[in-house]
Amino acid sequence: MKSDFSIDALVTELAPVRPLAPREAWVAVAGATAVMTGVIAAGYGLRSDILAGAPDPIVVIRAGILLLLGIASTIAVTTSARPAIGQVSHGWRWALAAAALFPVTSMGLALAAGAFPMAVVKANSGPYCLALSGASAVLIGGLLVAWLRRGAPTAIDRVSWLTGLAAGSFGTFAYSLHCPSDTVHYIGLWYTLSIALIAGLARIIVPRLIRW
Amino acid sequence: MNVNDDNLAELMARAQAGNAEAYRAVLTSCQRWLTGYYRGRIAPHQIDDLVQDTLISLHRKRATYDPSRPFLPWLAAIARYRWVDQLRRTYRANETELEDQFVADPVSNDITAKVSLARLLEQIPSKQAHVIRLVKIDGYSIKEAALRTGQTEPLVKVNIHRGLKKLAALCEKA
Repeated sequence: MKSDFSIDALVTELAPVRPLAPREAWVAVAGATAVMTGVIAAGYGLRSDILAGAPDPIVVIRAGILLLLGIASTIAVTTSARPAIGQVSHGWRWALAAAALFPVTSMGLALAAGAFPMAVVKANSGPYCLALSGASAVLIGGLLVAWLRRGAPTAIDRVSWLTGLAAGSFGTFAYSLHCPSDTVHYIGLWYTLSIALIAGLARIIVPRLIRW
Repeated sequence: MNVNDDNLAELMARAQAGNAEAYRAVLTSCQRWLTGYYRGRIAPHQIDDLVQDTLISLHRKRATYDPSRPFLPWLAAIARYRWVDQLRRTYRANETELEDQFVADPVSNDITAKVSLARLLEQIPSKQAHVIRLVKIDGYSIKEAALRTGQTEPLVKVNIHRGLKKLAALCEKA
């Protein structure tokens, strides 16, 4: 038994605490997403169809799916920050399945056509997609991790990559309103790559930041 | 004081507000509950230390309790986390030892691994469980384990490594 431990000592250290509030994480994530959307819009401009108030349907669909994936992942993260047996949020799986329709459709079309359009791979905007989505995700994910550090996640690896999934989805959403492309192949390649990279990096980096 | 989940939830809510008397009651009840929880999961002589570690975690993370939810699932999740963390540290120490020496200490310095492994080994492939038992529990060398199982020495090492990873994953789900 450790000699320096006693319940009395813990009681003596007691100070009032405010229960951890998921609302604070939502405010941070929503605020950071709005800021990065504004920064990208100011620095690189919004799509012309959005500015005209008549966005292409696929732009609306991809933005909606990115938001849904971000929201579902953030719900899973905030739920996991407060320990409880049997309390797990699975909504992100459905949102991820919906998002996966883009790369799956792209692959299906490429197989049917016999080739993947190389113009999409070589698109000048591709690296911008990664860079702007990534930069947005760093801010969004950083704030989410800062909040998460006050919590007590018990499934560290799962929470880590879900944090990346949330940050990547919202970050890519911020970029998508500028993104000049509106093809399924582009979304299937660059958006998927962007979110996967961010989620993968988060899976590597975040555990050491939130372990307790 | 006879406490149940509802009482504990109410006491913990008061403790979060700074009520020392309520907090003492919570900690005392948790100490009893945790002792029972860890009994059978780890070696008896390690229970007190793990209970104390868990109470310290509870203290540090008391803000994560949501007063609108039941108390015991919250406590159980923290208890399981600390338990898995201890097992992981044990496995890592064992893996390091394996890589350094490729032989287990015949007189294991950590009974925890034996107690927990005995239950978990049944849930992984028999070839992996067999070599883990031989090398990590019974103290055979890699070479001896290879001779006894008919596996090559590299395969024994691989099976031990993979088996330990699966055990760690199983602990996460426990």
